[in-house]
Amino acid sequence: MRRRLRSFGGLLRNVRVLLPFIVLIAIWWGIKSGFGVSDRLLVAPPAVWSSFVTLVSHGILAEYASTSLQLIGIAALVSFAAGVPIGFAVGANRYAARSLEGFLRFFQGISGIAWLPLAILWFGFTHTTTLAIVIYTLIVPIIFNTMVGVRAIPENYVLALRSLGASRLRIVRDVYLPGALPSIVVGTRLGMGYGWRALIASEMLVRQGGLGDLIFGARTFNQIDRIMVGMIVIGCLYIVVDRLLVQPVETMTLARWGVLRR
Amino acid sequence: MKAERIIWRLLPLVPAMIVLATWSVYWAIAQPPPSVMPSVAAVIRTFGELVMGDRLGNDIVASMARLLGGVAFGVVTGMIAGFVAGLNKPIAEFVNPLVVFFNAISGIVWLPLVIGWLGIGSPLAIFLIWNTVFFIVYQNTVLGVQLVPEVLEHGIRTLGANRWETVWSVTLPGALPYILSGIRSGLGFGWRALIAAELVGATTGLGQLIFSGSEYHRADIIICGCLIIGAIATAMDRCLLLPIERRTVQRWGLVAPDRSR
Amino acid sequence: MHIARIRMLIGALLIALVLFGQDVAGMATSSGRLDPALSHADGPKTVIVVLNFTPERFHNERLARYGVFAGRDKAVNRIRLRQVTPENLARLGKLVWVARVEPGR
Repeated sequence: MRRRLRSFGGLLRNVRVLLPFIVLIAIWWGIKSGFGVSDRLLVAPPAVWSSFVTLVSHGILAEYASTSLQLIGIAALVSFAAGVPIGFAVGANRYAARSLEGFLRFFQGISGIAWLPLAILWFGFTHTTTLAIVIYTLIVPIIFNTMVGVRAIPENYVLALRSLGASRLRIVRDVYLPGALPSIVVGTRLGMGYGWRALIASEMLVRQGGLGDLIFGARTFNQIDRIMVGMIVIGCLYIVVDRLLVQPVETMTLARWGVLRR
Repeated sequence: MKAERIIWRLLPLVPAMIVLATWSVYWAIAQPPPSVMPSVAAVIRTFGELVMGDRLGNDIVASMARLLGGVAFGVVTGMIAGFVAGLNKPIAEFVNPLVVFFNAISGIVWLPLVIGWLGIGSPLAIFLIWNTVFFIVYQNTVLGVQLVPEVLEHGIRTLGANRWETVWSVTLPGALPYILSGIRSGLGFGWRALIAAELVGATTGLGQLIFSGSEYHRADIIICGCLIIGAIATAMDRCLLLPIERRTVQRWGLVAPDRSR
Repeated sequence: MHIARIRMLIGALLIALVLFGQDVAGMATSSGRLDPALSHADGPKTVIVVLNFTPERFHNERLARYGVFAGRDKAVNRIRLRQVTPENLARLGKLVWVARVEPGR
């Protein structure tokens, strides 16, 4: 009996999350019909819904959304696989850290999107261009945060383990990795936020598929309903990736190893 | 000993040296066309031309003006909304899902829609920056306000302060570290959103400079533009926000985390 | 910890739905799509791809991967494709947004 009540409470909480959106949609609908806003500026909720159904049943939305997800996925994997080791290598060495810190910070200020025209000149209007930009956008925070994480580990921990006779590998596994992991994960989450935006922007310019292409292309034909479907899908997908995939990893990591914070 | 100090001071220049060296060697060996990879000398020359010419000045002014407008607007509205929500738990909780969603699509995602409302140019850029900055500053302000220990607010109330005085002398300073952290993040995101907005929809500005560079296959202009963007971003962070943060946060002895998601 | 794992599972499922859902749906419904006359797998054929809607450029581009575009067959939503190999024919049969594939002349 109690379990049923608890799951009902959980369900109620989930419904409560939707309430603000229902209110927003009502306001949106009200403004659209009440003020007679032209279809060229704003489109009513039912039109957006029917456009969504159309895009799904015509097979368009699934493909564009998949392209975006695949691109961000590949970029995330590559950035992580390359960024973490580089960050470790740099963070472990005082001189390397000192020399690269300013350099990385400078490039953090140049968003990936700024390099887009150059990437287009080099790689043309292809997925390679988009991947290059998103990887650049993702890898800088990851390297940076890995570096910071490694540097924040007190020397004592390493010395303690070494005095007990631990091998290099053991030290990496038991001290460096757990110690730096919280910072790495936080950096990855930050990078994904930057990266997703860079992805959409890149897709808008490169126009080879992906959700950015979808909403930008719809602009050419003034298909406001499609633009809004695209925007909503972009938001929902980011929330799914960020809150249902990346954030739990962050929570678990911090819960387990979150002793050494910045 | 002295030598070590000198080396320590020069280390930050090493990566740049390595990049320049690799670039020059590659250019000398592979002889790529200037549209793909210009020589270091060409980039320096172009940089000089840009600085001497009048286009760069106009572009920087245009970009900075848009950034300033959008950020100021975003910070003010974000702080006001953040205070209202932070002091009213039911409002904050109700609005939160909306904030999370709109933060997820903040910035350039609005471009196709808003370009139909505002056309190309400064209003578009300012809207996109405002959009980006508002949600970040809002979230940080709400967090900061909520985290001010109630004890402090009760304390000053017992001394006879009304609502306004409480907010002004206790809540605001207490929330300030978070707010400043939000402004700093917002500035970073806003700068990126600005460049993205100008790449697609503007006639002047640094983003447009870079984009036109690609249209004319001038990689040297693009590289110069990007480096200038980086320099301005670093300068803004270093010279504007760090001192402010130091003088307020360190003065009041509080530390703030980053909540720029 | 439990909540985190459940979230990750739901997240992974949703992503999988977006990535593979359409293909799976197409494969699940593929049996009714190809005309029985096309079930013998020999050499390249000419087929008519019938859609339930007016195709956009997107659809023309995708269909062009499976055969040579050869105009319409009386209606806008009936597209003629030439030289469709048996493998491509099978792939056409798995596209969820295609209503049917009929033999052409």
